[in-house]
Amino acid sequence: MSRFKRILLLIIPAVLLPFVYMYDVVNAAVKVEITSLMVLRELIVIVSFTMIGLFIENRNKSLTHNAPKEIGRLFFGIVLSLLAIGIAIIFQPPEFSGPDAMNIYHSAVFMIFSTFIAIVLAVVSLFILLTLRGLIFFKRRKSTRRYYLAYLIFLFAACGAELTFFNLEDTFLPQILYAFAIVLIIVNSFKQNWIVYLSKREKVYSIVYSVLMFVALNMLDFFLASGIGSNNAIISYSRPLHSFIWLNAIFGTIYFGVTFISTLFHLPTAEVFEKKQSELNSLHNLSRLVTQVFDFNDLVNTVTQMTAEVCDARSVWLELFSVNAQTGEMSVDVVSKKNITQQEIDLIGADDGTRLRRYLIDSPKVLLIEDIWNDRRTKYLKEKGFARGSFLSIPLLSHGKLIGVLHATKEYQNAFDQEDIDVMTTFADHVSIAIENSRLIAKSIERERLHQEMMVAQRMQKRLLPQKLPDTASAEFAAVSESSLEVGGDYYDVFSLPDECVGIVVGDVSGKGVSAAFYMAEVKGIVLSLSKICSTPRELLLRANDTLLESLEKNAFISAVYAVLDVTNASLTMARAGHCPVILISGDTSELVKSSGIGLGLTDASQFEQATEERKIKLKHGDICIFYTDGITEARNEDMEEYGYERLVQIARECRDCSAEVMKEKILTNVRTFIGQGAYTDDVTLVVVKWLGSSKD
Amino acid sequence: MTDFKIHHRDGDGVSIIELKGYLDAHTAPDLETAFQKLLNEKKYNVVVNCRDLSYISSAGLGVFMAYVEDIRKNMGDIKLTNMSSKVYNVFDLLGFPLLYEIFKDEQEAVSRFKEIKK
Repeated sequence: MSRFKRILLLIIPAVLLPFVYMYDVVNAAVKVEITSLMVLRELIVIVSFTMIGLFIENRNKSLTHNAPKEIGRLFFGIVLSLLAIGIAIIFQPPEFSGPDAMNIYHSAVFMIFSTFIAIVLAVVSLFILLTLRGLIFFKRRKSTRRYYLAYLIFLFAACGAELTFFNLEDTFLPQILYAFAIVLIIVNSFKQNWIVYLSKREKVYSIVYSVLMFVALNMLDFFLASGIGSNNAIISYSRPLHSFIWLNAIFGTIYFGVTFISTLFHLPTAEVFEKKQSELNSLHNLSRLVTQVFDFNDLVNTVTQMTAEVCDARSVWLELFSVNAQTGEMSVDVVSKKNITQQEIDLIGADDGTRLRRYLIDSPKVLLIEDIWNDRRTKYLKEKGFARGSFLSIPLLSHGKLIGVLHATKEYQNAFDQEDIDVMTTFADHVSIAIENSRLIAKSIERERLHQEMMVAQRMQKRLLPQKLPDTASAEFAAVSESSLEVGGDYYDVFSLPDECVGIVVGDVSGKGVSAAFYMAEVKGIVLSLSKICSTPRELLLRANDTLLESLEKNAFISAVYAVLDVTNASLTMARAGHCPVILISGDTSELVKSSGIGLGLTDASQFEQATEERKIKLKHGDICIFYTDGITEARNEDMEEYGYERLVQIARECRDCSAEVMKEKILTNVRTFIGQGAYTDDVTLVVVKWLGSSKD
Repeated sequence: MTDFKIHHRDGDGVSIIELKGYLDAHTAPDLETAFQKLLNEKKYNVVVNCRDLSYISSAGLGVFMAYVEDIRKNMGDIKLTNMSSKVYNVFDLLGFPLLYEIFKDEQEAVSRFKEIKK
């Protein structure tokens, strides 16, 4: 409602009520009994007080934020009004009897008095009604609103029935309406939910205020029912207003009477309720903290602090267990403690006292010791000077594993109840979750770091493969290598050699991943340096075997094939060290060139030398040599079927007229199509050489 | 993932290891454990029966290389038997037949050990 409208609500009664006063003064003296004027007067009174009521309601929107305070304020108002009544009674003008009683002067004085007392009581009664509404609506249900509205209806009906021009005084209607209003007062008086949520202190206040209120309102009731002149003055001012004031006073009396009794009954449970409330609050805070695990110290300190507060414990401390990965020894860290020294904690964990901790480790369950001095598990603490009392330990479990313990002690024996156990268990669970979270975060940060490192390694390894293949008019080269993991153990190179020769090497380090990648780099170094000094492929492999035998781990070996393409002589000389056979496609024929050989790093020089043979192939125009690793032939589809040699030879034959580059792409696409949804399980390398020169004898 | 099983039995002073399924980088540690156990128990005459072995990768082959030296140092050996042609092909490509005795039948390998003993 706008400010202007609010002010209007006050201004209109302020203008109207003086007219009523003037009418009363004149009417008292001259007795002008004109019905229409009387009706108008009553209407003006009703409108005026309704407006005052709306004005007050508008100011009092936010009631019951502090119920006892509101009641106290209302009490103050009622006391003031009682005082006003008292003063009014003392200074009440004399009775108006006799023929000359009602002169203008007398009636003017009397009407001031009557108007004043009516307005004061009407305002107080509006306050009572609104305060009660606030209290009743504290917990709003459908019925709450309905009953309150029903009361208002009967309240106004009962007031309306009092209007003199209805002439209902001889009927039972007013009485019936009164009776209904009082029944509804009683029903509404049982809406006392707000009491439950008061703190113990507030409940005490509420008892005091409700008693005072009850007494004060009782006095008001008596006054309103009495035949004292001042009461008659209100009745003579407006009968409906009197009924309004009276019914509301009765409402207040009964409501606060019930308040007094129910608060009295709530008082013994106030502490439990308060504890529950603080439990809820601390759990709420804790849940928030758990998500901010970055400050772990903050969390554990909050937990001990809250445990101490909520359980009203003497001392609280939190131990975390950690197992040394190397020695397997368990160490205990006290990460947070309250009201207890490290020395005292050490007493419990001291050598001859390991029993208690052992007990927790062996069976990670809630451990409740009702009397530290008399329990067989903690008797030893008595001699050590540990204070008497009770002791509670809650295990912290993560994935069923004990990771720590939350301990608490109290001054008295048998001091921990089920509630304490429940609360501490919840706290312990929260800590477990937070620890688990912080560990997961640390792990994922570490994983991210490793991933970055692997990405660097991947870039480095890509640079180890040739960035550009040799360019000759008589041969085409195409090559590709893909790792199944970030880095792989496949290696290939195609490089120019003296005398118009081109060296081609493909190798596969046993295993996968990082270890394979390191060996792959080593192989590149070895092959590059040996290619400059060795005259034949066989010699290069022999010397590579010598070098690798020393540096490779026992379970590691490398399969490789090395070929030298002699452009001048149109020939390919190759030696195979345990590697997949080279596919040679010449015209309509295809061959798997599988010269005898053994993997690098498997055996000593003499056996290797014996085993390795060299093959020389004369090339014809259009001949194709395909070098590859077993990642291609052993690629598996969803049915665990292998790609195999046949498919590879088949696709190569189908596109033998394509360029080397196109053939490489076609083979790769064919393998990928074969695999289907899955990814490569091994590194895949493919080198295609196409001879475009003429054949030589 | 693929399945891999190792069954170990002793017969006449020869330890027989039966392999089943896929021996690759993931399952190789299982075979390593089996070999380490034999070494700890000082059982150096080993026959590896590959009847149910459906696939072997380079990492799987590496396991044999890792232990064969220690076993041979103790006058023992690893002999391989009952390979499927596919598995044999992998051994053959790498030149393993030069390094290991490979038999068609488990019994042949066992009797070979006995001959040496005599």
